[in-house]
Amino acid sequence: MSIAHHPSAPMVAAYAAGRLDFGQHVAVATHLFSCQHCRNQVRAAEQTGGDLLSALPPAPLANDALTRIEARLAEPDKPPPPNPVATSDIPGLPSFLRSYRFDAWRPVAPSLEARAIRLPHPTPTRVFVLKARPGSRLLLHTHKGFELTCVLAGGFSHEGGHFGPGDFDIGDSAVSHEPSIDAGEDCISLVAMQGSLKLRGLLGLLVQPFVRL
Amino acid sequence: MGSIRDAGRQDWAAHLAAVAMHADRAAFASLFAFFAPRIKAFMRRTGESDAQAEELAQEAMLTVWRKAALFDPATTGAAAWIFTIARNLRIDAQRRARRDGAGATPAATEEFEIDDAPLPDIQLAAAQSSAQVRSALAQLSPEQIRVVEMSFFEEKPHTEIAEALSIPIGTVKSRLRLAMKRLRSLLGEET
Ligand SMILES: [Zn+2]
Repeated sequence: MSIAHHPSAPMVAAYAAGRLDFGQHVAVATHLFSCQHCRNQVRAAEQTGGDLLSALPPAPLANDALTRIEARLAEPDKPPPPNPVATSDIPGLPSFLRSYRFDAWRPVAPSLEARAIRLPHPTPTRVFVLKARPGSRLLLHTHKGFELTCVLAGGFSHEGGHFGPGDFDIGDSAVSHEPSIDAGEDCISLVAMQGSLKLRGLLGLLVQPFVRL
Repeated sequence: MGSIRDAGRQDWAAHLAAVAMHADRAAFASLFAFFAPRIKAFMRRTGESDAQAEELAQEAMLTVWRKAALFDPATTGAAAWIFTIARNLRIDAQRRARRDGAGATPAATEEFEIDDAPLPDIQLAAAQSSAQVRSALAQLSPEQIRVVEMSFFEEKPHTEIAEALSIPIGTVKSRLRLAMKRLRSLLGEET
């Protein structure tokens, strides 16, 4: 397995528990799509969920609860909703995500383009696909809020290491980095971001108003 | 203790199989008696009202009845499978409650189906790992279990988990990381 960077263990547990907001869920699901490793972690966490559920002190239901549900067992199930059609041609995304609406590419900063994904319900986290030119250097930045990144193609490096397809990067206010994009190929990533980027340094002060993320 | 739990797990799997194959109402009644009040307790703990928790427990059991044929004992435990049903229904309920009027929201179930084109050996790997996962879980310290438990069942962010256990947030993260790392090595994978 060449994937070196994974979501944190609490994040994987929170995913399995259904506790992530949908934007974060999308970022973790994108990583899981290519990471058998973390899929096993999710299964382990779900087994724990089952064990914990079994161990909970029961909360009694109404006396007639079983009778009422038995009356409904013969009801036909609602037909499943038709399978959504995949509209995105971006590889490496889980299929549920490919059926959502993707906005057109738009320039964000020099050598950087983004494509927003319209999630079907409101979430505090925005999700978009980011494309950076090969060999470019992103500005030193910190985060207000946090940023989850899953690489789909190409790669980048910062002081946290090298990130290639499937790798998962977590940026929060404690992290300040200046990623440089691998040579030879566009770097395409899925990004889930809460809050906004804060660019540092004089150049950051100058370009901040022009960076729309 | 482990063997009693395993016996219990086997038992529920057989009940689910009876529901799937013969629409066995007695088996369903046993499943209902054990799981419905625990699903209700789970919903209560995650902040649902008593009425809503009762409603969701009913809905979850109806889903168990209808989808029993999809349960695959080779890849997951019965309780874990029922847990994922309850989890998805809870997400759907929260979305309905928060919906801003713009049409129906898709069901969460599909969003957890992550390997839509599974490689042939994934199913096998999953079956092999579930036993290892269980033995790995048995070796977690009570404190580690507690941290996982809090992220499962209580509406608490990690900062509050740290406060409740009076340990610094970095420790919560590193303990969970350690626990997961141990899991990974027990699963025979490189980290
Ligand atoms: Zn992973």
